[in-house]
Amino acid sequence: MSQNGALAGLKVLDLTDHRAELCSRLLADMGADVIKIEPPGGSSSRRIGPFLDDVPHHDRSLFNWFYNLNKRSIILDLSRPRGAEILLALARSADVVVESFAPGRLAALKLGWERLHGENPALVLCSLTPFGQTGPYRDFTADDTVLTALGGMLYVNGYPGHPPVRPLGLQAYHSAAYFGAIATMIAILGRDASGESQWIDLSMQAATAAAVEHVASSYFERAEAEPRRGTLHWSRYFRVAKCRDGYIMHCSLGDWTSLIEWVKSEGKADDLVAPEYDQVLYRYLMAEHLFDVLDEWVRAYRRDELIERAQLLRQPYATVRPPEALFDDEQLAARGFFVEVEHPELGRRFRYPGGPYLFNGTPWRVYRRPPLLGEHTGEVLRDSLGIETGELDALAAEGII
Amino acid sequence: MALPLEGVRVLDFTWVVAGPVATRILADHGAEVVKIERKNPPPLGNRKLGLQCDLHRGKISAAINMSHPKGLELARRLAAKSDLVMDNFSARVMRTWGMDYESLRELKPDIICISMSGLGHTGPRSSYVSYGPTLQALTGYTLLMAERDGTPAGYGYSYADMCGGYTGALAALIALYHKRRTGEGQFIDLSQFEGVTAVVGPALLDIAVNGRTQSPPLWNSQEGPAAPHNVYRCAPDGADDDRWIAIAVHTEAEWQRLVKVIGSPPWANDAKFRTLYLRMRNREQLDAHVSRWTRERRAEEAMTALQAAGVSAGIVSNGVDMCARDPQLKERGFWAPLATRQGTTHVTGIPFKLSATPGAIRTLGPEVGQDNDYILGEILGLSKAERDEMIACEAVWP
Repeated sequence: MSQNGALAGLKVLDLTDHRAELCSRLLADMGADVIKIEPPGGSSSRRIGPFLDDVPHHDRSLFNWFYNLNKRSIILDLSRPRGAEILLALARSADVVVESFAPGRLAALKLGWERLHGENPALVLCSLTPFGQTGPYRDFTADDTVLTALGGMLYVNGYPGHPPVRPLGLQAYHSAAYFGAIATMIAILGRDASGESQWIDLSMQAATAAAVEHVASSYFERAEAEPRRGTLHWSRYFRVAKCRDGYIMHCSLGDWTSLIEWVKSEGKADDLVAPEYDQVLYRYLMAEHLFDVLDEWVRAYRRDELIERAQLLRQPYATVRPPEALFDDEQLAARGFFVEVEHPELGRRFRYPGGPYLFNGTPWRVYRRPPLLGEHTGEVLRDSLGIETGELDALAAEGII
Repeated sequence: MALPLEGVRVLDFTWVVAGPVATRILADHGAEVVKIERKNPPPLGNRKLGLQCDLHRGKISAAINMSHPKGLELARRLAAKSDLVMDNFSARVMRTWGMDYESLRELKPDIICISMSGLGHTGPRSSYVSYGPTLQALTGYTLLMAERDGTPAGYGYSYADMCGGYTGALAALIALYHKRRTGEGQFIDLSQFEGVTAVVGPALLDIAVNGRTQSPPLWNSQEGPAAPHNVYRCAPDGADDDRWIAIAVHTEAEWQRLVKVIGSPPWANDAKFRTLYLRMRNREQLDAHVSRWTRERRAEEAMTALQAAGVSAGIVSNGVDMCARDPQLKERGFWAPLATRQGTTHVTGIPFKLSATPGAIRTLGPEVGQDNDYILGEILGLSKAERDEMIACEAVWP
């Protein structure tokens, strides 16, 4: 097993705000050296709660912690010519710049693609913006909610006749971040093969639209808009039901004979014993009725009792749980999903969610807790650019760093 | 410039949704994705149209009988000529076939194996049967996608599968990078449950650090205070009275601009809306006022007016809006055309543009076994007679 991460040696400059910080974190978690370049006052994520013990402070934002684990932080005022020069100097030895400024803003700072590419032809620039660098909506503004609207995610969640509902978490941003990391790695692999580098123009709206499983393919197949169906999954094989002590998820894709034998043995199978139901296509067609019957059946059950038995019969049933339950989940615990991260300046350790995969050779890991604002300014400018203490003091006095 | 993943070969045993999403991303950027499948796979749909085309475009297919020793041997020889082997089975399946990482690295020391199972290969629940919707239930997404009274109201689809797919593609690319640098392959045990848990977001830290029980977000902004922040019903579009606009006002400047766009109505000067804090506290009355304005307007018209003034707003796009009308997605060519016998269909495109190698969505999804000759003949070097023999002994389906 390597001591270093898979991305050891990959140098990334992160110029993003709270909408796109996850992108470079995905790289940092695998060993890339990610330097977060923050404006004076810090990234917008530092002003967003929740905060540690509900005390707002730029070093106590849990929102900021989640998206910036494993990065270093420097403060650099890019709107000042000297600040922009320092960025260019850092970019000369970097592999990747990730940014989420409004289209045109980077160029206005004289840090656009042509300039960066001129300074360092091997540099990949990854730009994540709400709608991309081109097109009629290029200058539109959007938060995550507006992106989930224009990306087609909202419309298909909720009950027919009721307003759409929204997901837990900033899922438009998250989809965009994953695509941003994917695009960056593709561009890096291409650069290493051909010597040619490129500019990635990512649209968060398109990333959101890509992550809605069924809507586009249904339109291109049948020219129809998928409706809202409540908890009935579009495939019609899943629906939420209520047990005595909470909700569960039904699934009619498991072995039907063993499921219906069980339900029948409790006298609750009604007409589901009819042979037509042996066919998965019939179950698809009859989904509403089928789940209505099964809802009656599970009503008197306790959730754990039901799910345990269902899983013994290889029925893909699950408990509908709150996210707090993740912290007591035996499976996640056995695989070491949650990790302890020490915050020495607070004298405390906190449990963080871990990585989405187990690499046996180059594992996901915690290299460092999220950085305090500007914690590494001196270190980075000294080590990377050889700027001496005297000059650092002068830059700080001018408010550039 | 060649596509970045040209020359990379992926042996693809994945099925349903998450696995195919991962391998199609690799195919779009030049990887040769070789599907190994049985002759009569579960009837998931036509691969020339709709979701199955979306998932399998750009891939090739061999129909190899993995329960025949000679079929197994063919698959192992293909693995020896691949960079990556990807599956989404439980741990047992690949091991039984002698296609697990430990076995394959004997054949090819730098092989990368990625298994994208539901709950991972280790742990007390590794044999738990799951699908995207059940993973969403376990994670908290289902319970917290709720109506005001707490009734679960979604998801209408498998977000977990899409997350699993992106995570799988990213894992593949990171492992490839490491292999190119060091010559080392590895095994990646990807749990789709962990993949979707990892994107719950800062709420997980709010639980772990502050001990706070999470509520459904409803229309509270999850990125700092905001009001108005909701979806508002708009005027019907013909017979369609399911038209909505999302409006998100985070700053004082945005509030002032919103007030101006909606004609500076007297209620906007009401003391109870004077500060962001007050607007949030009185959001129900505020929403009622905003709704009266949106209800009089078509969603597109309201969006145009608000965006022209610099207010974040977007129509709640349905499938027709998104695929046929949205001028932005259209101008950026997001829906990618593919030629079919009947004309042209479209599939989900690539949400990012690489300036030199924008990617290529090349072919419709393959029929099972349509590329047997290329895969067995060109890649493995079997002669026509040898291929016929494999078919005759039922190791390969024609």
